[in-house]
Amino acid sequence: MDSTTAFSKVVGIIKPFVKNTTAFSEANDGTRIIEDLGVNSARLVDIILAFEDEFGIEVDDDSADKVRTLGDAVQMILQKTAPAH
Amino acid sequence: MLSGAQRIGLRVQELISQIGVLLTYYSLEGWLRFMGYRVRDIARVRAEFAAAAGRGPLLVCANHLTLIDSLIIQWALTPGWRLLARPDWFFWNLPDKYNMSVNVWIRLLGYFGKCVLVRRKGPPEEVRLSLDKVKYLMGRGQSVLVFPEGGRSRIGRVDTENFMYGVGRMLQDVPNARVLCVFARGVGQRVYTNYPRRGESFFVRVETMTPTTRHQGLRADRDLATQIIRHLSEMEQEYFAHAALDR
Repeated sequence: MDSTTAFSKVVGIIKPFVKNTTAFSEANDGTRIIEDLGVNSARLVDIILAFEDEFGIEVDDDSADKVRTLGDAVQMILQKTAPAH
Repeated sequence: MLSGAQRIGLRVQELISQIGVLLTYYSLEGWLRFMGYRVRDIARVRAEFAAAAGRGPLLVCANHLTLIDSLIIQWALTPGWRLLARPDWFFWNLPDKYNMSVNVWIRLLGYFGKCVLVRRKGPPEEVRLSLDKVKYLMGRGQSVLVFPEGGRSRIGRVDTENFMYGVGRMLQDVPNARVLCVFARGVGQRVYTNYPRRGESFFVRVETMTPTTRHQGLRADRDLATQIIRHLSEMEQEYFAHAALDR
């Protein structure tokens, strides 16, 4: 999976939780999920669990805590879905 | 993971707050009485709590509608003198840093009232630090009072849709903790407010529960928190069912 596809899927998962639709319409890798998009911090857990279901990955607490921006989410997903060498 | 200084800080706060427990408790009780507040059938509530509490760390989970819910609950569940023999029943609280920074007196009250300040919607590392403090305190046999909704319910009832999962993480961090659900509500309380109305009469009910989960990690956090919120919601439904019958 490339980063564009991952980004598109991440945006689709986050969309129902977004309060700031203006920031969401201009979202990019640097967009902060809580501060910029107005996502409730409790719902961030729901988003991470949705990532797990969508991408078939497991996200531990430490990895989840590091997800601040859409780019962080994409990078985490790409790392966890990358084939092992 | 807490640093040595943070651990010492908590132990010093625990010691100082215990030394001042009677002054803190009865000052606050005096203010609550001055406001005309009373707890219905307080002897029964305290007996229920004493029977349910037992020994060891308690995670007291309550519904949340006013800024002074933690004071009302502490008052309802234990008389002040009892806290001399049972310091673990003098609950630690996790109030919002913003609400507790109003003036120096409130800050002092927070210190003596065993508060660990948290920043609502703060960055994950701050949330993690607060959870680590809770883990440390409960590991020492202390009890913690939390509001699983994460703030005062905006709908005036236990909010089963918008709640935090931190209580689930606490339970995973301290597996031997026992969960005590407390439903407390002023009979005239309609929606969330800063303070209950003057002369308010509070209904308080205490029940133990044992949430379990087959999940791990974040999914377990959510599962455990959901069970607790549902239990509080059931207690609330029972309250309103009885209130309807009383009319």
